[in-house]
Amino acid sequence: MVNKTSMSRKSVEVTNHAAMTKLKRRFSSQNAGLILLMFFILLALPFIPGFKPWMANQLSLVLVYVIAAQGISILTGYTGLVSVGHGGFLAIGAYTSALLVKYTGVDIAIAIVASACMAGAFGFMLGLVFLRLSGPFLAIGTLGFAFFIGTLINNVPFFEGREGISLPVNKFMGVVLSDVSFYFLGLGFFALVTLFIFSFVRSSVGRSLMALRDAEKAAQSCGVNRFFYRMLAFTVSATITGAAGALSGFSVRYVSAEVYSDIWYSVDILVAVIVGGSAMMMGPIVGGTFVALLPFLLETLADLSFILKGLILIAVLIFAPAGICELIARPFQRWRQLQIESVGKETLVNAPSAVMHQH
Amino acid sequence: MANILHCANISVKFGGVIANDNVSLRIEEGKVIGLIGPNGAGKTTLFNVLSKFQQYDTGHVYMHGKLIDSKGPSDMIGLGIARTFQNINLFSELTTLDNILLGAHRLTGNPIANMYSFKSARKRERKLVERAGEIASMLGISDELDVVVKHLPYGIQKRVEIARALAGDPKIILLDEPVAGCNDEETAELREVIRKVNRDLSITILMVEHDMSLVMSVCDYIFVLNFGSNLAEGTPAQIRTNPEVIKAYLGQEVEP
Amino acid sequence: MLGQLITSGVSTGALYALTAIAVVVVFRNTRTINLAQGDFSMIAAFIAVMLLKSGFSYSQALACTVAFTILLGILVERLVMRPIADADWLTLFTATLGVYYIMHGIAGWLWGRDTKAFPYTFDPTPVHTFGTVISVGHLLNIGWAAAIGAVLFVFFKFTKQGVAMRAVTDDPETARLMGIPVRFIVLLTWGMAGFLGAFAGILLAPILYVSPQMMDEVLVKGYVAAVFGGLYSIPGAIIGALMIGVAENLAGGYLGSHYKTATAFVMIVVLLALRPQGLFGIQKRREI
Repeated sequence: MVNKTSMSRKSVEVTNHAAMTKLKRRFSSQNAGLILLMFFILLALPFIPGFKPWMANQLSLVLVYVIAAQGISILTGYTGLVSVGHGGFLAIGAYTSALLVKYTGVDIAIAIVASACMAGAFGFMLGLVFLRLSGPFLAIGTLGFAFFIGTLINNVPFFEGREGISLPVNKFMGVVLSDVSFYFLGLGFFALVTLFIFSFVRSSVGRSLMALRDAEKAAQSCGVNRFFYRMLAFTVSATITGAAGALSGFSVRYVSAEVYSDIWYSVDILVAVIVGGSAMMMGPIVGGTFVALLPFLLETLADLSFILKGLILIAVLIFAPAGICELIARPFQRWRQLQIESVGKETLVNAPSAVMHQH
Repeated sequence: MANILHCANISVKFGGVIANDNVSLRIEEGKVIGLIGPNGAGKTTLFNVLSKFQQYDTGHVYMHGKLIDSKGPSDMIGLGIARTFQNINLFSELTTLDNILLGAHRLTGNPIANMYSFKSARKRERKLVERAGEIASMLGISDELDVVVKHLPYGIQKRVEIARALAGDPKIILLDEPVAGCNDEETAELREVIRKVNRDLSITILMVEHDMSLVMSVCDYIFVLNFGSNLAEGTPAQIRTNPEVIKAYLGQEVEP
Repeated sequence: MLGQLITSGVSTGALYALTAIAVVVVFRNTRTINLAQGDFSMIAAFIAVMLLKSGFSYSQALACTVAFTILLGILVERLVMRPIADADWLTLFTATLGVYYIMHGIAGWLWGRDTKAFPYTFDPTPVHTFGTVISVGHLLNIGWAAAIGAVLFVFFKFTKQGVAMRAVTDDPETARLMGIPVRFIVLLTWGMAGFLGAFAGILLAPILYVSPQMMDEVLVKGYVAAVFGGLYSIPGAIIGALMIGVAENLAGGYLGSHYKTATAFVMIVVLLALRPQGLFGIQKRREI
């Protein structure tokens, strides 16, 4: 004899599962679609009439901030560890690239990858030294690191810090890059980093980091080794920001200690993810753009831009503490959650009649 | 039957306070063991010692007779020891599915491969998601798989925590006050879940609990602590009538 | 020369100590890492310059500036810190960063970004003691800092408000339950930060010259000193500040002035790497 209740329960689960999978796929493609749209717009910008080459330079600079912010988001957003020293990785990236190209003439793409790795190595070492510190002390330690790197490039003659390193034209695959083509190269790296983060966040690694961030003891009881994963986060974060640093050097073809020993880059990178949102894909993009463009929007009134920056920062902290993107995304996420919950209820209502019809 | 987990002569001091004083405990494989005692008896401290979240000044902890003193909290699930937390410690911003998947963390393989979502990683992830679905189904929480856990009712959250503990394929689960804050209905449901996990999945259980009816009805053997030391041990029937235990809880001799 | 380097180091160190103490007091009462502390000093310096130029006497300018900066501290607490009082430390820290930006912007806008000299000098006749030469300025700095230190000591140990503040530092929940007006204590804390900031600013102005960025380095050094006390102990912070003052002067004198700034950073990195809880910090309980 067929047990009707258990049969209907099973088919409810099956139908449920299918509907849920379809819904989740839809959400995923919506997310991907938004990011693709953004890339399309960025690619199309240089083709809009009235676009001047110096604008490409400006956009490249914005990309630098965005990628640097993406780097810090891995550590601060997904892992919950605050760093006020990411400018140090920016400097390491810039200097490694500059020295490589000046003395060995390598292709800039290779230089960028090498710089990223160098920054990653430094990130690894920094993690080893400072990870046992808690929140604010870790932040102070990273600030000390940034100062240390700044002093290093300022005072050790090897880095030619004071005079600065002037770079020849950018060569990629043997071709000399104009400002616009360099911008496209920058977009290429931005796309790579974005793709990586997309995969990273959805992977078991991203999941483990967020678990450590939200409920450390529970994560440990699941087997997530705190030290290993934090070191991983530190290293990956430093690598990405290092790549941004390399790009920044190439975009203006001049690397000097005066610029790269400035602590304010470290602060700006952190501010970018605090304003934009540190644990979301669009967060570093929005935040990085804000931090990069603000001084330019108020070029004549530099003091006003400072005041505005402070006011916006405080306003964000009071009204949108998890970042602007999180605030904007909240109604969409709530709507999605409701859709998910209603899928469960719907199929429960429809299932019994479906089963009866089959008889 | 062998002891799957046991500790001997555990002492833990916090400054002037002695939380555990020369405490020993044995958990026989396949059984449901209870750990009870009045407030401040040192149960939670001992529980944290056993799950390696608490350092101890003297004593040793053994699994299957082998010393595990040097192991850290994240090594435990690899040894087959899972735990839950008092008042739930779920990853509140993640979904039920993600919480269960995290429980299965030790089965996820190479983190570097996972980071880049290589094909092997994706395949393994799919398998883990399937398995998570089975565990959720067994506990009756399939419908909540994609719901962010902070939106779930307390009783369902309790089951998610147990599902997460099961996901790591443990041989023993340490339950920290599993029915704290539950009403009678939720307690009854969890009682059945505990029985099912112990009998159908052959998983040993250690339970710290205040709810006496649950402890008496589900446990095979009980250890009682008081003022940081061992007070008594025995079957529920023995503990129920033990005058020392009664005195510890009620503060005076009770007419039998 | 060594004697001079040391005395001048002690003198600047004493002034760094004022910033360090302010930072410690704010942190342990409100869990806030106050980035705007330096700017309290900076604004005070500018106000003092303005008043002196308008014909106020030194003591009049001092008194008015201190009063103004105390109010400034209270204003920051009410407008910025109170709405986010229960947030996590990063939010609190970033809010003070916002205050920093705003104060920098206002100072630059009102008074311009170039450096100005402080329009008051002390009698430059050096005093000969202990076989070295100490200027009157140095003596006054050390004197003021010591006096303020004594006032604080009396405050924390003997006054009702001081003891109440120590209770709040220790355990704000219990303090609240015991009827201590925690909100008022927090107000007092930020007023104190303004008070200390004012003195640091006015006393450092002749040495650093007055500009919106004058206190940036001092702020960082103040924090390094505070970390010597585990961000918790005032004596620790004072000792740290004095050590930084002397060490950087020695480094500057014997290695070259470029190494002066780096000294504080080397010290902090070494300290955090070797003894994360600071020289005098509290030992935490041994839970994993």
